[in-house]
Amino acid sequence: MANNPSKAAAIIAAGEADQIGYLETPKTDMMLGVEAIYNACREAGISTKDIEGIANPGGANAYAEYLGIVPKWVDTTAVGGCSFQIHLAHMLAGINAGMFDIGVIVNGQAGYSRRNFPRGGAGGGGGDPLGPDAQFVNPYGTTGAPSQYSHAMTRHMHEYGTTKEDFAEIAVNTRQWAMLNPRAVMHSKETNPNGGPITVDDVLNSRLISWPLNLLDVCLVTDHGGAVVVASAAAAKSFRKPPVWVAGAGEAIGHQTMLEMKDFTATSAVASSQRAYKMAGMGPEDMEMAMIYDSFTLTVGITIEMLGLTRRGEFPSLVKNGNTAPGGKFPMNTNGGGLSFNHSGMYGMQLLVESYRQLSGTAEDGIHGIAGKQTNANTCIVNGTGGTLSATGTVVLTRD
Amino acid sequence: MADYNKPIPIPDPMTNGPYWEGAKQGKFMLPRCTSCNKVHFYPRIICPNCGSRSLEWIEATGEGYLHTFAVQHRAMGAWAEEAPFVTAYIDLKEGDRVFTVLRGVDPTKPEEIFKKIGALCRVEWDEANDAVSMPYWRLVG
Ligand SMILES: [Zn+2]
Repeated sequence: MANNPSKAAAIIAAGEADQIGYLETPKTDMMLGVEAIYNACREAGISTKDIEGIANPGGANAYAEYLGIVPKWVDTTAVGGCSFQIHLAHMLAGINAGMFDIGVIVNGQAGYSRRNFPRGGAGGGGGDPLGPDAQFVNPYGTTGAPSQYSHAMTRHMHEYGTTKEDFAEIAVNTRQWAMLNPRAVMHSKETNPNGGPITVDDVLNSRLISWPLNLLDVCLVTDHGGAVVVASAAAAKSFRKPPVWVAGAGEAIGHQTMLEMKDFTATSAVASSQRAYKMAGMGPEDMEMAMIYDSFTLTVGITIEMLGLTRRGEFPSLVKNGNTAPGGKFPMNTNGGGLSFNHSGMYGMQLLVESYRQLSGTAEDGIHGIAGKQTNANTCIVNGTGGTLSATGTVVLTRD
Repeated sequence: MADYNKPIPIPDPMTNGPYWEGAKQGKFMLPRCTSCNKVHFYPRIICPNCGSRSLEWIEATGEGYLHTFAVQHRAMGAWAEEAPFVTAYIDLKEGDRVFTVLRGVDPTKPEEIFKKIGALCRVEWDEANDAVSMPYWRLVG
């Protein structure tokens, strides 16, 4: 690879909003995002005025203005929940090209509190009334992501003989990680009446949303603000925390509407991960943990296969027997995931925050005598999925 | 037609005129590329298979095969009254795929529908208003 940008940049800090989850007092998207930027910059030991490059899906200009900065570099890529993995890929390229040294990727999203905002506030959907979804999909009563992703799960079960129980294992393992994260919505009965441990039967007996997806196969809808600070390799060495290197990064788009998803059991993560592995000079066998976008258990099952962590149709072999739960051989979604920690709408930001914390040794959220979630992984594959299994971004992170 | 209470799309006359005109007459129209001979759906002004702009409209058989499905237990507006109902992707005999609400199946028995993946389905039309007849597909195989 000519001029391989591998490790030209590192994540040097991560931050979250002061409060996340189901906020009692609503905050705007901007408030949540700026709190996260401020907290990330404090952790890095820099001022928000030191930010030279800024990335956010659609709103980088608003953040720059709010912070009173005039960035040298900007990225507003907005391809759904994986936008942040793609921002990191672009930042790596921009830093490698010498365009800037310190950048921030940010998202603030009042996924839960939005319902309390005045009408006309941020909200997805709509789209072009003459577009393909408006003409040929939406009139048939589907209601967003769950009602579409379920079709892919049916097809996976048909082609590979996987079962609802196999997918439910993912939710069970992920809940166990949430029980180690006091900021997770479903940490315990204290944080939510439905929190605490769950079983496969609990998943199967939870309310049907869009068969074969039950409620506990589906992510939360919460408030979150997150930010990571990214620095050039030279700059990263001058900061207090050990750098988490961006060893590889790749992006890919398969389709927009699910009408155009040729193979319902495959996403563009196979392409984006191959690009990331190649840049890093590593393969799936070198990965010691994974942070995988869990909008639904189905998303995780397919993505495990796309990342080469198992062969096609064999994701159950990775998640069974608690293999991806705390204490298992392959830690996955160690913050408790979008399923049980926090999912504000575009969850890729949470993926970056947690993967940085794991590899920098700052994932220890344990309080009240609860054992923490810090693993000893040296490498992490991070994959985001956006739209309706549409776009993907994959990054390979490593530590020294 | 007065009793059609579901969302009705606004036809795009620039791209999809022949599709919606055909629908009114109970014809399932598809764009076909005269360069590579492949049909595509949703209709476009350029062939997504080869990049040609030499396209024509053909009347398709209105038959296809059940590719995958889901049972919707949660819906909005008039669809909420129908829940649970079955949505499906149909592989067209001519090629490519459409989305629909599937008829002729029991939404309370998804395991039975699951066994029908690959089975023959046929289009039928509901007159929604003067401009739009909505295609629905029925499991017949
Ligand atoms: Zn063609």
